[in-house]
Amino acid sequence: MDPIMDRPAGANFVSEEGRRLAGTLSDVANGDTAAMARLYERTSGKLFGICLRILGSEAEAEEALQETFVTVWRKAAAFDQGKASAVTWLAVLARNKAIDRLRGRRPGTDAGLDAAADIADSGASALDLLEDAQESRRLSACLDELEPRTGEAIRAAFIGGASYPDLAAREGVPLGTMKSWVRRGLLRLRGCLER
Amino acid sequence: MSEDFEMSEEERDLLAGEYALGLLEGEERARAAALAAADPDFRRRAARWSGRLAPLLDEVEAVSPPVHLWTRIERRLSPAAAAGSNVHILRRKVNLWRGYSAAATALAASLALFLVARPADRTAPPPPPPPIAAEPLVAMMSSEGSAAKLVASFDPDRKSLIVAPAAGVESVPGHAHELWLIPADGKPRSMGIVAPGAPRRMAVAPPMLKELKADATLALSVEQTGGSPSGRPTGPVIASGKLIRT
Repeated sequence: MDPIMDRPAGANFVSEEGRRLAGTLSDVANGDTAAMARLYERTSGKLFGICLRILGSEAEAEEALQETFVTVWRKAAAFDQGKASAVTWLAVLARNKAIDRLRGRRPGTDAGLDAAADIADSGASALDLLEDAQESRRLSACLDELEPRTGEAIRAAFIGGASYPDLAAREGVPLGTMKSWVRRGLLRLRGCLER
Repeated sequence: MSEDFEMSEEERDLLAGEYALGLLEGEERARAAALAAADPDFRRRAARWSGRLAPLLDEVEAVSPPVHLWTRIERRLSPAAAAGSNVHILRRKVNLWRGYSAAATALAASLALFLVARPADRTAPPPPPPPIAAEPLVAMMSSEGSAAKLVASFDPDRKSLIVAPAAGVESVPGHAHELWLIPADGKPRSMGIVAPGAPRRMAVAPPMLKELKADATLALSVEQTGGSPSGRPTGPVIASGKLIRT
């Protein structure tokens, strides 16, 4: 099967295949384990890559990927294809599982980021903007407008799992300095994306 | 820092962003997590930040997870869904059947037991009959002169039919396999399209439920893609079998 998430960056996810993935998710929501196997086959490489990038350890990434798919099995019904692309929903879910794991959240002790992702689709149009290559390009352009070190910090946090203390140590600046760079960067980014 | 409820909207949104990005650690993270748990608006803001940055995940290279991982995940999917366990048992039995395709009849009986027998059903006293006396049923479908073999099992609890092609249901370009229910009145009702290969759970619409009874026949015909346009079987029937109680 063609792993649709292995396509190059910027590929248009609202494609026939993207829709098929959304269809597979709705079969999963109906308790169809064969659909679950198909979903795993098509997306596990990408999602494992995301977990591995953040956690840096195969064993930890395996745990995060397991938690991701167990959550998908339980929560597939919460996915609403009108609001978010299936790929985005899955990728953000896997990323948040990995971050929660990295930050040492014990399951059930607090509302981790995975809870925030579950809510993602109930919240208005939270995820509906990034479904196509155009959005991907726009994000890149907006990140490029920031100070290079700030853009790098935001990237490193989102796809690498770096925290404020990690970023401050990496740049050799005080924690407060890094925080103000990033906060300023986030505000500019938001403004740019909403333009 | 001021209390959460005194934060300006901008501060709240930034905190949601910092939380969504995973920038916070320790107490700060715990505080944001508590806010997320309590406050839908904060959750929405965090989700929106995830959404804004999600295209970055396109950049991450795919890496194949180790082969054994799926088995571990699959094990954790049940008992959350009985669908899982039924389909698994079914798939195993179907594989068994493939191996012993000659001994169909004897196996049919044992399969029937394995498919839908649940320990609870054996020990619990019989429940009062529901308005529609739905009961577990199974049909072994085959036909002389055809290689197609299927096992269909009706799960009354979930009002669905699990259809597992065991052999000879190959995909043919431009054609589809349509499943029909033929009750005592002899009029076929379409139950939907059967995909070749994997076992599949098909929801049974309420009007069809009362027709799903022992001695009704299930049949599989070859139709054009999308199914018979007339609502009646038009192509050859490649497998059929009577529903029996388990």
